[in-house]
Amino acid sequence: MWNVLKDIWFLFGRLFPYPTRPGLRRIGDPDRSSPVLVTGNFELTVRTVIETLERDGIDAWLLIAPSKGVNVWCAAGGGHFTTDSVVSIIKTTGVEKLVDHRRVILPQLSANGVNYWAVKERTGWKPRFGPAHIKDFAAYIRSGKQITEREHRHVSFDLPERLAMGTNLGFNVSLILALPLIIASFWVAGLWWKTIPILFMLSVLSTVLVFWLPGKIGVQKGLALGVLTAATYALVAQTALDVPPWSLVGWSAWILAVSAFVGYDMPSWSPLWRQDAKELILGVRTTHVAIIPERCINCHLCDIVCPVDVFAHNPETKKYEVANLDACEACGACIENCPTEAIVNNFREGVCACPTCLAIDGVSKLAGKSRKSRQPEPSSCTEGECGCD
Amino acid sequence: MSTLVYMKLLEQTPAKYDRGMRVITLGRVDRIKREIAAGWVEPGHSVLELGCGTGSLARLMTERGADVTGIDISEPMLAVARDAAPAATVMHLTATEIERLGESCFDRIVATLSLSELSEDELDYVLHASARLLKPGGLLVVADEVVPIPLRQRMLFWLIRYPLAALTFLLTQNTTHALRGFERRLEDAGYRTVSTKPYLLGTLALIVSERA
Repeated sequence: MWNVLKDIWFLFGRLFPYPTRPGLRRIGDPDRSSPVLVTGNFELTVRTVIETLERDGIDAWLLIAPSKGVNVWCAAGGGHFTTDSVVSIIKTTGVEKLVDHRRVILPQLSANGVNYWAVKERTGWKPRFGPAHIKDFAAYIRSGKQITEREHRHVSFDLPERLAMGTNLGFNVSLILALPLIIASFWVAGLWWKTIPILFMLSVLSTVLVFWLPGKIGVQKGLALGVLTAATYALVAQTALDVPPWSLVGWSAWILAVSAFVGYDMPSWSPLWRQDAKELILGVRTTHVAIIPERCINCHLCDIVCPVDVFAHNPETKKYEVANLDACEACGACIENCPTEAIVNNFREGVCACPTCLAIDGVSKLAGKSRKSRQPEPSSCTEGECGCD
Repeated sequence: MSTLVYMKLLEQTPAKYDRGMRVITLGRVDRIKREIAAGWVEPGHSVLELGCGTGSLARLMTERGADVTGIDISEPMLAVARDAAPAATVMHLTATEIERLGESCFDRIVATLSLSELSEDELDYVLHASARLLKPGGLLVVADEVVPIPLRQRMLFWLIRYPLAALTFLLTQNTTHALRGFERRLEDAGYRTVSTKPYLLGTLALIVSERA
């Protein structure tokens, strides 16, 4: 009963922290050689991790690090799931007395907050980044390999998750826009209670259909959905309902506008795209992650931590290169974990001086959108030290 | 955009944090810090501050002539603390790594509204580790929200604390946690309580304990 209520809450309020007790949990029947893995203390995450591991018949020691009740990726990005959290959970649970080995598996998506080298130095344990999704953990651990298979490093945005994020998006934009809409209803009667269901429906549709809608991610896909929805509305209103023409035009235009807005907002609820005004409104890439070749020591970590496969190894130069810049969502995991500060992210600001770009840049600056990447201390390391095969 | 709205709303800044702590303690936090510096720290003392935050207590203690080491895990806070208390040694270190600082080397270990930020496992670990860090006869000085054990006092505690916490969250998006069973944990870690002074009808307490 309680779990059902929680599940309903997670359909709408997943954005809000929901802490569970940090500490050590036994999964199955672990022994002194069982793997030790770490996660954050977000209730939904912990429950999913435990259920998945138990279903897959894994015996393991699970360390639940305090992440302020926030999921791993967001907490790592927001500074709540950091190297400090990992160091602290390893030390305070006394897990070293329970196992003979000193290997700890970190969630791959914690790499934007957790520094591999610092964990190693401060705990004496050998960290590994596991798969991006816990469903791939069984395959990873049974393969016996130290680094994850390429396909297990990718974040995915499957249909059930899209549905859940769609309802969350709908709930939260409705919450934010409720007051302005109610105020606007003094001039346009019934605007708020007609708009909220439209907003909610378009939120779910735009998220569920995101891969099938035409256009670039952002406003373009939103407009595409808007055209479809407005056309359906116009068709139904004209044939079945008796709607006056001016109202028909007005509501169709409103649906289009709402859909464009939802299309713009949706990417921040996905694991695949980042929230960037220029990118989502104009379709211009502003992220520019680059590797300084002289500094690359071929340690593989950037490739291992990247959840969208931006990097590729060049066998001739024996260095890593940026191969798929379009996929980069500037999560910062590679920058956090590069031991030689070889990776930089130059946001292309001010490349375009058209009025639209200037306006967007201005608004972004006003919103204080300054991203300061935390650079790790450079440390010396030899090739293959990260334990690659 | 909607996620950005929430992020901005929940974003922590050192100034906002200090404001939050003032509201939730109705201004008592500043008075307690002055009391700690004047009443429990002597010139020449070697003092460790767990969770030094923006360095206001570290400053008071250095002004009193103590040799202060402050640790915290928040870089923005540490940056403010370095300016606020230039005479103190301020560093990024988790409370669970304090054994790196040595053994039996501090006269005082102080913590204001920071131990309650730790999880229960972390708290026990830190209490044991701090006992080893104190010189014989050294004192652990803790000011925090402590949940009382007797039922009537406990009900009063939540009655006062919930509205205050709600108000604080509305104004500054900050909150605190309260320590539970703190006296028992102190005992388990080998401490003997020397003095307990309640504030705000017992919702806040200054607990001084000695390494037994």
